[in-house]
Amino acid sequence: MIYLDNAATTKPSESALKKAEIFNSEYYFNPSALYRGGLDCAKEVKKAKESVLKNLGTSDHEVIFTSCGTESDNTAIFCAVKRGSYVTDKGEHAAVYKSFCELKNKGQTVFFADLLPDGSVDTDKLYDYVSNNRVDFVSIVHVNNETGAINDINEIAKKLKEINNKIVFHSDGVQAYGKLPYKLSKNIDLYSISAHKINGLKGVGALIKRKTLSLAPYIIGGGQENGLRSGTENVFGIKVFEYAGEERYSVLNDNFNKVTALKNKALSLIDKSIFKVISSDNASPYVLSVSAVGLKGEVLMHILESEGIIVGNGSACSSKNPFSRVIESCGYDKNVLNGVIRISFSPYSTDDEIVKAIERLNDNAKKLKGIMN
Amino acid sequence: MEKAIIIRYCEIHLKGKNRGHFEKLLKENVQKSLKGINHTFTVMRSRYLIENFDESDYEIITEKLRKIAGVHNYSLAYVVANDFEEILKAAEKICEGKKGTFRVTTNRADKTFKPDSMETSMLLGGRLLEKYGNNIKVDVKNPDFTIFVDIREDKKTFVYSETVSCMSGMPVGSAGKGLLLISGGIDSPVAGYMMCKRGMKIECLHFHSFPYTGEAAKEKVKDLTKIVGEYNGGITLHVVSFTHIQEEIHKKCPEEYMITIMRRFMMRIAERMANQRGAQAIITGESLGQVASQTIESITSSNSVVTMPVLRPLIGFDKLDIIDISKKIEAYETSILPYEDCCTVFLPKFPLIKPNLQKVIYTESKLDVESLIEEAMSNIETYTF
Repeated sequence: MIYLDNAATTKPSESALKKAEIFNSEYYFNPSALYRGGLDCAKEVKKAKESVLKNLGTSDHEVIFTSCGTESDNTAIFCAVKRGSYVTDKGEHAAVYKSFCELKNKGQTVFFADLLPDGSVDTDKLYDYVSNNRVDFVSIVHVNNETGAINDINEIAKKLKEINNKIVFHSDGVQAYGKLPYKLSKNIDLYSISAHKINGLKGVGALIKRKTLSLAPYIIGGGQENGLRSGTENVFGIKVFEYAGEERYSVLNDNFNKVTALKNKALSLIDKSIFKVISSDNASPYVLSVSAVGLKGEVLMHILESEGIIVGNGSACSSKNPFSRVIESCGYDKNVLNGVIRISFSPYSTDDEIVKAIERLNDNAKKLKGIMN
Repeated sequence: MEKAIIIRYCEIHLKGKNRGHFEKLLKENVQKSLKGINHTFTVMRSRYLIENFDESDYEIITEKLRKIAGVHNYSLAYVVANDFEEILKAAEKICEGKKGTFRVTTNRADKTFKPDSMETSMLLGGRLLEKYGNNIKVDVKNPDFTIFVDIREDKKTFVYSETVSCMSGMPVGSAGKGLLLISGGIDSPVAGYMMCKRGMKIECLHFHSFPYTGEAAKEKVKDLTKIVGEYNGGITLHVVSFTHIQEEIHKKCPEEYMITIMRRFMMRIAERMANQRGAQAIITGESLGQVASQTIESITSSNSVVTMPVLRPLIGFDKLDIIDISKKIEAYETSILPYEDCCTVFLPKFPLIKPNLQKVIYTESKLDVESLIEEAMSNIETYTF
């Protein structure tokens, strides 16, 4: 199998799983317990937090472990500001986008900033809105999960705070953490990450919070995570996240270069007479979004699947709307939207795999074109 | 106080000398459905009785009863001795918390019980009014609720008030076997349910078009089949790969004929499958005029390739009526999941609404119909739920 849907999830790192095994077999204690085993587990969770902060190159923040990226996003959106005026963009993952829709339903003022054709935020419009309106909370995705477009969130947060220093700024960094070389700026108040996108396990995420920002808890109970996220910590999952993160960050730049080469290879091989490339050159190399114009991306995905090649098709089936909301917001027409395929790489993808996958993609698209048109 | 569930049927009463056959079948269907749940099952005159069940199983039992074709309704009754004071206690339990008008109806099969039924009703009514007179009063003609007292010869009395309506119809298996064409939409599961209700045992046939439709669409059809299966006492689904046929039609026939010819292939395959499985009819969810393939001309075109009866229980139903039944049988939420079914990918912009049969036959002659059907018949997956 050639797996090229790494933006959806990744294969858990075997070495990280092995290294963390001890937290299932021996150190299975509750980190809140006051005996030695419990204290040791608490220390291990603390180490994992330090590791995350080190990876992000920050000492101004703290880490709250959660159950997933969605929980991190929800906590940030619903708990940092109790009411007011909220701003986000049209390229957000559903975890953010739908939360903003919920705020809107509840009567809060919500503004969705437009996207540029590559899926990045139209910052002119964003700054314009924030300059002319009262705004309390802004959430801008770091890397768009469908097109790979990178928003320069450090710069955006800085500008926004220059306009209004009371704004709480959140960013969904799920597709960036462990992939892009990046230092978390002080201006970012909240940052969401997820373990399973970087060879960790599903069921673990984290919300990174600026230390001095006050946040109301979303889940209330035994007071774990400084009272900000109750519930017994998933020590095993957290340690796998830490080790998988270490593996990624020890070779972050090498991986980045390798994946960039893979993406460029794919781009050079892809049949431009059939496919329109949606991702821009300066997008995250981990995501390549293309469209088989006039064809159905989902059908192409199924054909490739039957040949052992797994790619994504955005989130076409995630809602009753047959098209990807995000790509639609980039301004494309129905023919492009119908044909969207998302190829997402891993540092462990190989050159041969890419060559074969793109060859099959081209070939099948050509055949399908013959059948469908 | 002990409780019993009284199960009643209706249409079987109308049967003459075959009545015993239908009763036996319904009994077997009920017993099969309640397998694994502790209870005792008794056949009474024109009804069945479920006793000695754990009260926590009541919801599970009644949920199953509601899905058995032939069961008209059921009541939960208190079971007491043939003793006036005991009967009164049970009747009081029914009146507790109730408001409005009531009557008591007594049926006295045990003639040793005194007083007679009229007087029992009167005395019970009087005693109930003494206790609950603030909330209830008698209205024998149009009561809000009726307390039924059934004094039986075996020295047991049933006291109950409410009856819960069920599916009615005839027991599954009493009206032969049919093959339902199931698509993944709203209509076909409803059509299947309607035929189960009339006593037909069904199997399902689905046309799958991988890669034009994905695994998720197939899973959805499996889920819908399972839902229909609950009314059918279990069910079998056959999935035929339809891809090559669609591609051939697309390649060799004008676009507007796509659906017309596709339907003819589906009917041919269905008839062969039905014959293989011992089914005597094909069932479809067609509703007259709902879409281009369901006009009388289109139906004529697809019907003309088979000799087996094609049952279309929804033919005169409006979409909204169908949706109502779909919701009632709890299929709707699954039916409206957004996965594409086999029809949507090759959908022509302007399908033929009134195909001319001669032209259809001529157009179809460009295809090697027989070998395409044989190929499809050799590639069938079967699932039993």
